[in-house]
Amino acid sequence: MNTNLKISNVTKIYPGCVANDNVSLEFNSGKIYALLGENGAGKSTLVKILSGVIKPNEGEIFLNKNILKLNSPLDAKKNDIGMVFQHFNLFETLSVFENLIIDSNETKEVLREKIDSIMKKYNFLINLDVPVLNLSAGQKQKVEIIRCLIRNPKVLIMDEPTSVLTEQETSELFLSLKKFSEEGILIIYITHKLKEVMQLCDEVAVMRKGKLVSVSEIKSENIESLAKKMVGQNLKTIKKKKLETSADQLIKITNLNFISEDPFETNLNNINFSVNRGECLGIAGISGNGQSELFQILSGEIISDKSSIEFNKNYIGDLNPQERREYLMAFSPEDRLEQAAIPQMKIFENVALNNFKSSNFFNNGLINESKIKEHAKKIISDFNVNTDNIELKSQFLSGGNLQKLIIGRELITSPDLLICFNPTWGLDVGAINYIHETLIKINEQNKSIILISTDTDELLKLSDKISVIHKGELSKIMSAEEVTSEKLGVLMGGGEID
Amino acid sequence: MMIDINFVGLIITSIMASAVPLILASCGELITERSGVLNLGVEGMMIIGAISGFALMTVTGSLFIAVIGAMLAGILISTIFAFLTQTLITNHVATGLALTIFGIGISAMIGKNFVGIPGKEFPVLFESLKETIPFLSPILFGHSIVFYFAFALPFITNYFLKKTKIGLIIRAVGDSPVSASNQGINVKLVRYSCILYGGAMCGLAGAYLSMIYTPQWIENMTGGRGWIALALVVFSTWNPIKILIGAMIFGGLTIIQFHMQAVGVRIPVQFLTALPYIVTIVVLVVISRDSRKIRLSTPSSLGKSFYKDN
Repeated sequence: MNTNLKISNVTKIYPGCVANDNVSLEFNSGKIYALLGENGAGKSTLVKILSGVIKPNEGEIFLNKNILKLNSPLDAKKNDIGMVFQHFNLFETLSVFENLIIDSNETKEVLREKIDSIMKKYNFLINLDVPVLNLSAGQKQKVEIIRCLIRNPKVLIMDEPTSVLTEQETSELFLSLKKFSEEGILIIYITHKLKEVMQLCDEVAVMRKGKLVSVSEIKSENIESLAKKMVGQNLKTIKKKKLETSADQLIKITNLNFISEDPFETNLNNINFSVNRGECLGIAGISGNGQSELFQILSGEIISDKSSIEFNKNYIGDLNPQERREYLMAFSPEDRLEQAAIPQMKIFENVALNNFKSSNFFNNGLINESKIKEHAKKIISDFNVNTDNIELKSQFLSGGNLQKLIIGRELITSPDLLICFNPTWGLDVGAINYIHETLIKINEQNKSIILISTDTDELLKLSDKISVIHKGELSKIMSAEEVTSEKLGVLMGGGEID
Repeated sequence: MMIDINFVGLIITSIMASAVPLILASCGELITERSGVLNLGVEGMMIIGAISGFALMTVTGSLFIAVIGAMLAGILISTIFAFLTQTLITNHVATGLALTIFGIGISAMIGKNFVGIPGKEFPVLFESLKETIPFLSPILFGHSIVFYFAFALPFITNYFLKKTKIGLIIRAVGDSPVSASNQGINVKLVRYSCILYGGAMCGLAGAYLSMIYTPQWIENMTGGRGWIALALVVFSTWNPIKILIGAMIFGGLTIIQFHMQAVGVRIPVQFLTALPYIVTIVVLVVISRDSRKIRLSTPSSLGKSFYKDN
C-alpha cells in the first residue's frame, strides 16, 4: 500500500525565533527523502513535530489524507510513524531486550520471536541480553531501528543518523534503508551532510533559517548546488597548502600506557608518536576507543610518567594542565559545555579561566575585571564570535560561537601546540569552515596541532600525518597523502591494511 | 557454659523486629529512587505515619483503620513532596529536607495529647505454633502481619522491578526520563506513583514503631531510622536483597550493643552506639564493590528534575 505523508503550513515559534516558518512538504512511499539544512535550520523542530514530541503553533499533518493529531510521541507511534533520534533514546542500564519491549503490549515470547526474525532478515547481529551501554554506537542505532520495525511502521524518520557511525557502519545503514524503502516504508532522512544525500536519497528538501528553500530531485542536483541552497551563499572550499615540514621535533610520546580502574574507560597500550613543528597529526577512530583517555593524558587531566611525554625537550608527563600551559601547550576538549567552558559563567569570566597565573587578570587575589573584559573583546573580534555581549552566560552561545571562543581563548596566548578533540563536533558548515581555516593558519605559523577526531573528512583535510586509535592502541603513523577514508575505515574497525 | 538456645532465638527475633521499619521504609524509598526521585523526607514521613497510626488507634479503637490511616498519612505528606518536585519542579534535596523538618514538627504538635497513653496489643499470627520447634519456631511464628510483610517485601520488590512491566517502566524512567517520555511513557505519572508508594511504606514503617514495636507515642520516636533507611538504599546500591542484609546487620548490632552495655563491656558507650552505623555502611560498601553492577543499578537521573519543553 502506498503511504502519503503531507505537512501543511506548519509554523513553530519559540521565544525569539521562528523555528519553522510556514513549511509545507509532501512525501510518498517508495522513495527516500532527504531533509537538508544546517544546524538551526529547523529540521529537528520539524522532526519533533512529526514525532509528536512538540506541537506546532499552526499547521496540520496528514497521513494518507487523514489529519493526524500528534499530541505525544505515543500518537506518532500509534499512527505508524517510527523515529530514530540523533541522540539515542535508549535506556543505557537496561538490556537490549528490555529496551525493545518497553513500549509493547505483546508477550515477551512473541516479541523475542519477532525481534529474532527482524534481525535475521536484515542481518543485524546484536546480543539481546546485554545492557545497552555495552554496545557500540552503530549497534545502538540498530536497536533503535529494530524498535521502530517491531511496530511495522509506514514512515521511518532518521535524524542525522551517521554522526556517530564509521564508514562501514554508514554503508550498512544505507543498504538497510534502501531495503526498507523497497518494502514500502516511507523514509525521511535528515542530515547536513551533502555527500550522504547524493548517495542515498531520491528527493531532497532544503531548509534554511526555518524556511523551506527548495524541493527537488537528486538527479537535478549536485553537491555544489545543494551546498549553495543550504548555506545561502557559495561555500569556500578550504584546502591546506602543502608546507615544507620541519624536522624540528616538538612533542614526543614514548611508551605511554594507561590502565584504568573504571571499566567504562579504555586502557591505552604502548602509545608512541611524535609531532614536529608546523605539523598536524590527526588521530582517527570510532569514539570510545581511547581518544578521551589519550586527550586527558596529553592535556594533563590524567597524570602519567614524567618521561612519557617530552615537550620542547622537557619531560612534562607529571604536570597538570595549568603547568603544561606555561610550556605553551593549549587544549580544546571535546565537550565544550562540560569541559572547556563553565556554562553558567559569563563569556569574559570563561576566557580568564585558562590563565589564572596572569598578573594582568588577577593581582593580589583580586579580579581585574576591566583587563579581562578587554581581553574577551579582543578574542571575540579576532575569532569572529558572533556576539557583542561579553556579559552573556556562555551556555547561551551556539555551539559554533562557543567553539570559536574556546579556540580563540587558547590561541591568543600563541601556544606552540594545540591539542583538540572533535573541534567541529555538531557544528554547522559555516562554523566548521572557520575552525578549519583557523587550524590551517596555526600550521602555517609553524605551530603544531594534535587533532583527535571522529570525522575522517576533517582529518584528511587538515592532517599531515594520520594514525588510527583502536581499542587503546595506535596504528602506525601514515603520511596523509597515502591514506584514504576507506583505509581509515578499515583500521578504525580493527582491521589491517598493508 | 551452656548457651540457652532459646535465648539466642529470642535475640534473633528482636533483631528481626528492629529491622522491620528499616526494611519497609528502605524498600519504599528504593522504588521512589529507582524512578529517579530522591526523597530525603523518609524520616518525616515515618514520624507522620507513627503519630497518625497511634492517634487513629486511640481515637477509633480500630487497629485496621489505624494502619491504613498511617499509610494514607504517608501518602498524603508525600503528595506534598510530589506536587512540589514534579509539578512545581523544586529541588529534590531541599524539598525532602523540608518535608522531614515539617513531619517532625507537626507530629510533635499532634502528639501532645497522646503522650503517656498506653498502646493496644497488636494481634500476632501463628501463635499456637510458637512452642512446636525449639529455637526455630519463636523466630518464625507469633509475629504481627506487618512483620511478615516486611520480610517478604524485599523479595517482592526485587521480583517486581526485574520481572514486571511496571517495574521495567520505573527503571526506564529512572535511567532516562527524556527517553522514556519520548517513548510515550508518562514520566510524571510514574514518578508521582512511586513517590506516593514510598510515602505509604514509610507511613507503615512509622505505624509499626508506634503500634507494634514500642506501642506508645514518644516525641521524635523514629530517632533517625529514616536516615538509616535512606543510607541503606544508597549503600545497598538500590538492591532490595542487600537492603534486607543491611537492615539485619544494623538491627543486629543495635540489639547486641544494648546487651553489651547491659553486661558492662568496657567499651565507651558512645562507640557502641555508633557501631551499628559504621559497620552497616562498611559491610554494604564492601559487598557492593563491583562498579559495573553499581552503574547498572544506579538510577542515572536520580535527583534530577524532569520537565517537558514545548
